[in-house]
Amino acid sequence: MSAATTALGDAARQRLLEARPMWRIVLGQFVEHRMAVAGVCVIAFFLGVALFAPVISAVTGLDPNRQNVLARYQPLMSWEEASPSERELRVQRFLESGDRTALADHVRRLGLAGADLPQDELLYQLVSSNEPAQLLDLLRHGPTPDSAAAREQLAGFERVVEDFRSFHLLGTDELGRDVFIRLVYGTQVSITVGLLVALISGLIGLVIGSVAGYYGGRLDALLMRFTDTLLSLPILVVLIVVSAVDLGKLLGGTPLAFITGHEHESVIKMIIILCAFSWMQAARLVRGSILSIKEQEFVLAARVLGARDRSIIATHVVPNVIAPLLVAVTLGIGNAILFEAALSFLGLGIQPPTPSWGNMLHNAQEMVQHAPMLAILPGLLILFTVISFNYIGDGVRDAIDPRGIRR
Amino acid sequence: MTGFILRRLAQTVVVIALLSFFCYFLMTLMPGDPIDEMIAANPTMTAEDAQRLRELHGLDRPVHERYWNWVTMIAGGDLGYSRTYRVPVSEILGRSLLNTSLLAGAALVLSLLVAVPLGVWAALRKGSRVDYFVNLFAFAGISVPSFWIAIVLILVFAVYIPIFPAGGTTSIDFGMTPGEALVDRARHLVLPVLSLSFLSIGTFVRYTRAAMIDAMSNDYIRTARAKGLSWDRVLIVHGFRNALIPLITIVTLSFSTLFSGAIITETVFAYDGVGRLVFLSIQRNDFNVAMVAFMISVSWVLLMNFAADLLYGVADPRITYS
Repeated sequence: MSAATTALGDAARQRLLEARPMWRIVLGQFVEHRMAVAGVCVIAFFLGVALFAPVISAVTGLDPNRQNVLARYQPLMSWEEASPSERELRVQRFLESGDRTALADHVRRLGLAGADLPQDELLYQLVSSNEPAQLLDLLRHGPTPDSAAAREQLAGFERVVEDFRSFHLLGTDELGRDVFIRLVYGTQVSITVGLLVALISGLIGLVIGSVAGYYGGRLDALLMRFTDTLLSLPILVVLIVVSAVDLGKLLGGTPLAFITGHEHESVIKMIIILCAFSWMQAARLVRGSILSIKEQEFVLAARVLGARDRSIIATHVVPNVIAPLLVAVTLGIGNAILFEAALSFLGLGIQPPTPSWGNMLHNAQEMVQHAPMLAILPGLLILFTVISFNYIGDGVRDAIDPRGIRR
Repeated sequence: MTGFILRRLAQTVVVIALLSFFCYFLMTLMPGDPIDEMIAANPTMTAEDAQRLRELHGLDRPVHERYWNWVTMIAGGDLGYSRTYRVPVSEILGRSLLNTSLLAGAALVLSLLVAVPLGVWAALRKGSRVDYFVNLFAFAGISVPSFWIAIVLILVFAVYIPIFPAGGTTSIDFGMTPGEALVDRARHLVLPVLSLSFLSIGTFVRYTRAAMIDAMSNDYIRTARAKGLSWDRVLIVHGFRNALIPLITIVTLSFSTLFSGAIITETVFAYDGVGRLVFLSIQRNDFNVAMVAFMISVSWVLLMNFAADLLYGVADPRITYS
């Protein structure tokens, strides 16, 4: 026994002898790719932002669609006062959202407004005759109301008044909407489109690739010629032509007609179109791996045992192409986000008011000299997201590459 | 060899024909119809007039008949008339085609000039700090949205440091000498070319690096060194020569990316090229221009792919076309 082996403790020797499951080997490899791990962190952050967009909106009191023409193109970190008509609108919304009689009684008792006014007039007058800060002062320093209902309503009203002055961390856009919350919702839209497109086109690629690779012959030649042709086209040119199509004219009378007029019509349309033109890489990859897998002994063994084609593909072939497919899908997410952004930037993709990183840039382009941040921020987010997905894809590829596995 | 070329050419022609029908069909599905727009522009037009115009232009016919009419028209050398530019399509097309070729060609040359040395350098210093930064740069290149890099370039080099024009193809000509006109043209090309090449540089660097690492790990490199050949000769004749084949593949595939990028670049920089023409004519319902511009751009890319297939034979004598 050599000195090196004896130098190992029992625990270390045990670890060397232990058979590790495949996924732990792959994970161990993946963790060594520093940029890929950084990518996972960035993506986890963006996923969190996307998932909690409604929460962020509720906590900050910002609404991605609230416009204010008096506060367009505000710089970063600016305060904005809601216009008088906007204030009235919000008070009206507050009045309509529940019973406000206890609050009105309390205000009358405080003597802040005419006691003979009806409940809604009372609040309108209160808001229009006082500055927000002053009004808040009056409401807060008065005696606390006795009933729980009045206390609750007063708190709600205070929140409405607080919102009259809002803080815009990243400024406002050409319609006076808050850029920060639009970026948050844009994250949701762009990441959703990217993930769905990559997953669905990965599935399409898996089906087409396995059929072509497994059956071979004329079917293979036909499918691969089609795939290659699509791959050689200038995809953006084709996407522009396709996305200019009016879905109503195409789908009229078919079961898919519900998409037209749907709240998220442009998002659904974008996903369908991008899926239709991004499955090719996955299909080629799957076909390539299947060509080599189907010659291996375990497939022959399964066939000798009388397994049907369907079960051979599903249980013996597909599990072996999952790994390369995973790489294609990860890289596909980045590409899908880039294409969505490009089309939305051209005004053909996701339509306002739904925010996406791409269509925010579309609007920012005209005023780029005066409000450069409007153009720079969404682009930076796209860059960070896509580069992270690309690094993750790279890391996964390295991790599953059997040549690279070090023990 | 001749058989291969003919077969490949026939394939390309079939693909182009199928695509033209597909595109024609899609155009009929786009919102807005030329006659509707005429009605909007001319309120005195009656429903009967509209119907008559529809019949006159054959718009009441089924798609395949209209497509066939269009094909015979094109085959007869008539590209149609542009509704928005009010000139025959052929007049607009020549100029924008030249502009796009200039833009795409310059971008391709620039990106190869930058990417190949960078890729080779990174490959030779694999795992070093140089390799790390070149890799980061390449990843940024493939991940950056092309329109964004264009906007950033405009901001930096046209707004903050105004040394280049922010857009356009040429300045308005006030008696420029030919020399001045040439300089002016070049100045307008700088930013679009930079922004367009940024995309392909990333891809080229990654592939050059991978191909070069692959080529340099072969046994014949060691043999060549052992025989006492100079390092430069080993690098260029034995290493790079063999890395060239995968590189050609990726340059071929990049024609389509280059053209896709050209649409965005031309739109942002208001550069008068085919890509922008496709986009604008589709937006303005100018179907004659859109069809021809689309077909030209697609055919151009497909023919370039075809040409590159032939190039393989030159780069790699082992490849035979049978």
